[in-house]
Amino acid sequence: MISRKEVKAYSAMPPVFEDITCGLASAPKLPKPMVKETRRVIALARKFNKEVVRPYALELDSKLQASPDYIPWDFVEQANEWGLYTGWIPKIFGGKGWNMPSLAYFIEEIASECLAMANLVGVHYLGVSTLTSTGNVRLINQICRQVAAGEKTHTPCLVSLATTEPGAGTDAEEIDLMDKGTMTCTAERVPGGYKLNGTKVFISNGHLSTWHMVIAYSDTSKPSENTVVLAVKTGDKGFSFGRKEQKMGQKGCPASELIFKDCFVPDEYVCFSPEQIRSLKRTVRETGMQMIDYVVSTTRAGVGAFGTGAARGAYNEAKKFAAETEVGGKRLINHEWAQCMLAEMLKNVMTARLTYVEANSANGLYGAFRDLQRKPMFYYYRLMPAKFFDKMVSPMLEKAFMTKTFRRVQLDGQTDEEIHRTSGWASLSKVAATDLGIRNCHMALELMGQHGLRRSYRVEKMLRDAKLLQIYEGTNQLNRLNIFKCMIAGDCPQAVIFDE
Amino acid sequence: MIAGTDRELKMLDKASAEFARKELAPERQENDRYPDAPLFEKTIKKAYDLEYFHIILPEALNGVGQGVAALCVILYNICREDSSLGGLIFTNAAAQELHIAAGAEEILKAVTEPADSVYNFLIAAPVFNNPRDMDNAADAAMQDGRYLLSGRVEYTVAGNIARHAVVPAKTEDAAGCSFFLLDLSSEGVTVSAPIPSLGLHACPAVDITLDRVPCSLLGQVGEGPQYFGKMAGRMSAAAAAMSAGIMKGSLTEALEYSRGRFQGGKRIVDWSEIRMMLAEMAVKVKTAECMVSRISQGIDQQETGWQEYAEAAAIDIQRSACGLTTDGIQVLGGVGYMKDFGQEKRFRDAKHIQALLGMVPTKKLRLIEGMFR
Repeated sequence: MISRKEVKAYSAMPPVFEDITCGLASAPKLPKPMVKETRRVIALARKFNKEVVRPYALELDSKLQASPDYIPWDFVEQANEWGLYTGWIPKIFGGKGWNMPSLAYFIEEIASECLAMANLVGVHYLGVSTLTSTGNVRLINQICRQVAAGEKTHTPCLVSLATTEPGAGTDAEEIDLMDKGTMTCTAERVPGGYKLNGTKVFISNGHLSTWHMVIAYSDTSKPSENTVVLAVKTGDKGFSFGRKEQKMGQKGCPASELIFKDCFVPDEYVCFSPEQIRSLKRTVRETGMQMIDYVVSTTRAGVGAFGTGAARGAYNEAKKFAAETEVGGKRLINHEWAQCMLAEMLKNVMTARLTYVEANSANGLYGAFRDLQRKPMFYYYRLMPAKFFDKMVSPMLEKAFMTKTFRRVQLDGQTDEEIHRTSGWASLSKVAATDLGIRNCHMALELMGQHGLRRSYRVEKMLRDAKLLQIYEGTNQLNRLNIFKCMIAGDCPQAVIFDE
Repeated sequence: MIAGTDRELKMLDKASAEFARKELAPERQENDRYPDAPLFEKTIKKAYDLEYFHIILPEALNGVGQGVAALCVILYNICREDSSLGGLIFTNAAAQELHIAAGAEEILKAVTEPADSVYNFLIAAPVFNNPRDMDNAADAAMQDGRYLLSGRVEYTVAGNIARHAVVPAKTEDAAGCSFFLLDLSSEGVTVSAPIPSLGLHACPAVDITLDRVPCSLLGQVGEGPQYFGKMAGRMSAAAAAMSAGIMKGSLTEALEYSRGRFQGGKRIVDWSEIRMMLAEMAVKVKTAECMVSRISQGIDQQETGWQEYAEAAAIDIQRSACGLTTDGIQVLGGVGYMKDFGQEKRFRDAKHIQALLGMVPTKKLRLIEGMFR
């Protein structure tokens, strides 16, 4: 009926089989215990919501409305006590090693109650995943183990990512725009390290983090080929915090200004520099973009989970309100139009969730989660005692060849198609889920009338919080262009991107 | 556009736009901090001195009597910069309109004529709830030939700053609620702190608790929903004007920013996706302005079917404003989400204003009910 050759040819026609079957292809490869572990993670999130998040969400928002300079150490300390900052750090680096896709489910749960608090946890992993994407095993091990030590000593040690500059937001996230933009954060090569100068803005969790993954440029006339990632510690000479932004929502999660004035970063804290990656198969520029894609493929899927949480939170509150309130003399929930609105909202939640699950299936097959989810690796990490990693493996990670090997496996092991598939799906999830999150907040407010306007009914905060999701991790406009680049442009050889 | 070719309206348009630019825009961020910062009393008083609170009130009742079109012009210009003042003017006008719908001009006159300050002139009202939607009424009991109100009325706008309030209450002898005017300085009135809300922070709403408070009945017992409906018909044009003003403010700020901000080596306005977003915003603004101008004119001239047109236009413009202000933030990116710019406030205010005069779905259903009649 159909030959092997034909199957191959037809499968390669757009949409390419692999692009549309990530979940299907990933399912048989998943280690079984991941399901049980994910169930535990979701249960933990719900318990955390009940005991910490829901009782404090409105209070924290109000506190920051009245005192914008308040820093929510109280929440961060609690999250630290609950082990949330080491949960998704692999055991080899001193963490608990929960499976990575479960982080998105966890985030959705927390976000359904409070996006700011979800961010206070989730953004830490943006920093960690940036660190991981550099492939610098020595530094990954060193910093992650400090996070683990912070949990034991009850002194939270968070990691942030500092990318955005006052004159460059979108430009900093896309290699094709970088060279045309105005990047001003410089890393000047000096004996023994780099001298860092410039300002970073809108850095989530900045004031709360101990480590900052700072993206800087050793030559701002050609940033795409001169990107360096430096690990800067709070308290380092030449590094200070500037203003804390006053935002419309997600008030609980600080957006900080980071100021660097002749801040010396020694070589041992250079996570990534062009010199370190010249032996890889791609050019420095291509590797730079691959690294960005490596990070955003997981974090944009994470924002998809945030968006799903927002959609779900709004749906939950609207449903509760409809069940309890009379409109026009009968229960709101018994008006057919209200039932259809709630059904539409639920549809939005489910659809949003499917996008981040699919994006993470792509990450499991082709991206950042691949090695952790390979069955031998998964069981090795799972079954070996933590002490083995601490005593036997950790010292090995200090060796330079480990970083070299790790980078080869991580970066050279990924094909261009795989980069596009993971990055494209992540952008798709980010755009779809955050738009649906906003949509549900609007619908909930419409359903709740004047009650929805009151902070005590929670939905107005959800709308304020959710709006940020369409902006950070690349605006939804940039992400649409990335979807085009990763999932459409390949079908049209004439297509030119970021150059109209 | 909203003022059309009418000379008086054009003058009002110019004056109110200048007032908004000079008095509201510079203090927008600080004013929005209320109740964590003082209320912008000086600006409210200036608006009162300019008779913006009198604009729709007939001359016989101590007003200016300029009609709905004039009110729309003022609200449009004010809401371009800061909708909170617009919310206060709207609420006061809606309360006045409720009196007129009920034929209670004399009761209204007793408030407006002796008023020697904006606060004595101002009448609070729960303008976000249509009494046909949710039960938000006190209980009225007759004693010695006068009504006494007890119970709670939620989300009464300007209830903590106005001397008087119009509130709905249920009576024993009627199925529908009735509207009553009460003096908020009377014994038995308890007013909550301003309710933390989505938008219009400097147009505070409060919950009012009443314990046997004397009041005056507006019109007939049980006719409250009808009076509210009449008032809402006219005031939906004013609510639409507020949304249109927000839209215009958001577009103006987005245009300004996109001309000055560079991304990828050129002004962001020169990237066609941003240009397309701005074009979509402009289409919405122009359409909204056109509709507000036409419906306010139709109302003042009592054209056939004006109420349906006004209500439909308001629903459409308010929905449009919610979408447009989302893009208004998006064009500015991260800074659009920050308090330093007006976009985030416009986003909140647009959604807040959409709830004026009742729930969105029931406003739509009532429109179609009217067409079936």
